[in-house]
Amino acid sequence: MSPNLLDVENVNKIFARGGIISRSVNHAVNNVSFSLAADKPEVFTIIGESGSGKTTLAGMILNSAAPTSGRILFRGKDLHDVRSRRDRLEFMSHVQAVFQNPFDAFNPLKRVDRYLFSAAQTFTECRTTDKVEERVDDSLRKVGLSLAEIQGRYPHEMSGGQLQRVAIARALVPNPSLIVADEPVSMIDASLRMTVINLFKKLRDELGVSIIYITHDLATAYYISDRLIIMQEGRVVEGGDARTVLAAPQHPYSIKLREAVLSVEGAWRDEPITEAMPAVAS
Amino acid sequence: MITGHRTMATSHEIKALQTAPLLEVDCLKAYYKMQLFGVDREVRAVDDVSLKIDRNEIYGLAGESSSGKSSLIKTIAGAIRPPLRVVEGSVRFSFKDGERDIYKLSPQELSAIRWSHLSYIMQGSMSVLNPVRRIKHAFVDFALPHVNVKGADFTNLVERHLKRVHLDPAVLQAYPHELSGGMRQRVTIALATVCGPEFIIADEPTTALDVIVQKGVLLMLREIQQELKSSILFVTHDMAVHANLTDRLGIMYAGRLVEEGRTRDLFKRPLHPYTAHLISSLPRIGDEAPKKGLEGSPPSLADPPPGCRFHPRCPLSIDICRREAPPLVEILPGHRAACHVAQADPTRVEAVL
Repeated sequence: MSPNLLDVENVNKIFARGGIISRSVNHAVNNVSFSLAADKPEVFTIIGESGSGKTTLAGMILNSAAPTSGRILFRGKDLHDVRSRRDRLEFMSHVQAVFQNPFDAFNPLKRVDRYLFSAAQTFTECRTTDKVEERVDDSLRKVGLSLAEIQGRYPHEMSGGQLQRVAIARALVPNPSLIVADEPVSMIDASLRMTVINLFKKLRDELGVSIIYITHDLATAYYISDRLIIMQEGRVVEGGDARTVLAAPQHPYSIKLREAVLSVEGAWRDEPITEAMPAVAS
Repeated sequence: MITGHRTMATSHEIKALQTAPLLEVDCLKAYYKMQLFGVDREVRAVDDVSLKIDRNEIYGLAGESSSGKSSLIKTIAGAIRPPLRVVEGSVRFSFKDGERDIYKLSPQELSAIRWSHLSYIMQGSMSVLNPVRRIKHAFVDFALPHVNVKGADFTNLVERHLKRVHLDPAVLQAYPHELSGGMRQRVTIALATVCGPEFIIADEPTTALDVIVQKGVLLMLREIQQELKSSILFVTHDMAVHANLTDRLGIMYAGRLVEEGRTRDLFKRPLHPYTAHLISSLPRIGDEAPKKGLEGSPPSLADPPPGCRFHPRCPLSIDICRREAPPLVEILPGHRAACHVAQADPTRVEAVL
């Protein structure tokens, strides 16, 4: 049997603060396990509020931080053993990331095409200018842009939606099998948001790329995900098929999260406030 | 309790003012005017916007980034600095103690109406509150000059007000970093409302908050608005928030107000294709129909397309859209839209949904 694309096994991440006397620990990720099958591309969503450990988990999957305990296997290989430059490049050509704010991800003084060219030079066998340009144009076309459109342009000359699509195109240059997208649409305008979301769907269906979609927005999660997990304070409180979980959440936290989603119909418009006074952190 | 210091108008005047809208923005044009190497450049951030906001009303303003909504609220608050300049039009408030034209006031008069009549809730609570001073100092700095109480009375006033926003008065002794994001946002709301202002501008106050916290903050904002009987101009790009909170809604696109009406009417029957798209593209839990994104990208305000600014992205655009900018006219009772197609036949827009 071929190994899974990704196995996350009992992963913990603990951040310690303070010294010997006033030591406190922050259990950012607490015993999380899930796996993605290699033969079935899917959109796997991690839902959580700020502080739930979802970005820490993403960092560990991208091998930019090591878990305190537990293992993460990519195609059966422990990320702990991916150390040498060659291994890391090999790993990065299979696993790519897209971040929240495209205006932060790109240096405003650098032309955006340079990112794409350097990705092509680093991760692919393309060495001549023609080959590199062809490869870059190819991945830009997958996101509905073309090299002619973006060549020589700076980030401020483009809209957030365009720039985020360039970021996705950059991630696609090495033909990855997994993309980790950390809140990819929360900074994008409403009229462009669905374009980017639909693009993830297309990547899954047409290119067979698995996507780990990290978000706090339940509505878009419902729209694109196949499976999801809901995280609270580092723990997975509920997981499973996206439609089933979001249609009828079981865990009290998931129910609370589901109820807090504002519906367009304006269900709670005239509801009285029943919330208790929040306590002051000491 | 805190209205005592205001000069009281006669009852006759009050009656006349009470019927007039609280805020009247008339043909407002505010442009960023710059000179680069001797070449004039202007960005028409607010282009011919007229709107009225009544007393005791939450007016929503929606639009994407760079649609000019931030420039509009800055202009309304009288908080503009060059290169942003008011080119034409006026912003008039009818406060309980008299009418004010924001751009005819002296700086002293303007700062006198701030916080006590007109206040502002900003988006990033961390950048409003000084990280190295306790919360109580923020109240002293912002609110004390605008109320006529001092010392222990002032502390009492603030503590009573904090209870209204569901905060423990102990937060006064805390530093901003000791509070959670939701609590900090409650503090900024408390700061903006402690003087009982008649008009509150809220600029994306819940965008940075988590879903569960957001709901609590929105409910609280509505509660305090009903208690103070003030009006709120609520700006956010999140249509679901508008559906739940606002009474009336204005949609901005590329510096212009393209549609305005009662929130429920707008959601039930949008008259501008852009609004129709915004509403139909919202993903909803339980709805599995594929949603389409809008083609093209938002226009640059430095060089907007001629005619209707939405026409390059509009599925309904006809010949006249390319030549003439549609005026914002009332199509259905209390429901205005700037669209040639909808003005000819309001049912056409529903067909795109």
